[in-house]
Amino acid sequence: MFRIPCPYCGPRDATEFRHQGESRNRPDPRTVTRGQWRAYLYEKDNVAGWTRENWYHGVGCRRFISVERNTVTNETRPAAAAAGAVDPVLPGAEAGAPDADSTRR
Amino acid sequence: MADRPVARSAIAPAPPVAVRDGWEVSTRRASGALRLADRSPLAKVLVRADPDGPFADRIGVATGTARRTPANALAASARPGEWLLMGPPGSAGNLADDLGAPDDGELVTVLDVTHGRALMRLTGVRADGVLAKVCGVDLSDRAMPDGSAAGTSVARVATDIVRDDVAGVPSYLLHCERSSGQHLFASLLDAGREFGIDVDGYANS
Repeated sequence: MFRIPCPYCGPRDATEFRHQGESRNRPDPRTVTRGQWRAYLYEKDNVAGWTRENWYHGVGCRRFISVERNTVTNETRPAAAAAGAVDPVLPGAEAGAPDADSTRR
Repeated sequence: MADRPVARSAIAPAPPVAVRDGWEVSTRRASGALRLADRSPLAKVLVRADPDGPFADRIGVATGTARRTPANALAASARPGEWLLMGPPGSAGNLADDLGAPDDGELVTVLDVTHGRALMRLTGVRADGVLAKVCGVDLSDRAMPDGSAAGTSVARVATDIVRDDVAGVPSYLLHCERSSGQHLFASLLDAGREFGIDVDGYANS
């Protein structure tokens, strides 16, 4: 078990939260291709180490928050500590990347 | 007809039972120093508004804090943009009226949740010891002094805790959904048994 630093409530037990997955940049729905959207939804980085995640504090402030967690040690730190960090590169989201799912439309 | 109840708490009253302010309540008096009492008959008004808006400024209670209003109601904010106002039984309308109308264009929700929520008060110098058995937040005076509020899990029930000391004795108001009230009350009695907890009866504060 570990604690999560909620920016509104302070450090709380992880059982108060619901894991929402890796924190990633959402592609623009008006211009995204199917392949890019599928990559955004399903192709996670799943790194062994520090990663930025979204959590929902359901029994506390009822806010969605971002924190950094080490997936190996379960150490956590506020996402603010990673200010300026580059979001994980979205697979297939680079400009000009081919739309792998385009043939199924 | 005056002794006929028009409302019942989610928490079964310990005998002897009487009717006060229209509620069927316990009139038992606790003998011990650690007391748990059902306070569900208190009026409860939930307010939601922009935490950075003018209505929030008017309420004047910051997130994580609680304070008494001039009308002796208790206003607590356990999370951003949400306040719970608690006052004597039957005062929900007055609590809402005292807030006044929001400015044009500001979205504010004011809702009487008196009968939809359970409220209990745990009082005693060992009250923090009881809560520590079923709750994970730091209850020390440094982290949670008198006049603070927190939303958390107590006995696995989503509960708002408001520290509201009584005559210098640590006291906590615990507020949860009505359907979880009896379970939370029983869990606190179970956790407090080793500290000599006793059930106290009705009071309007």
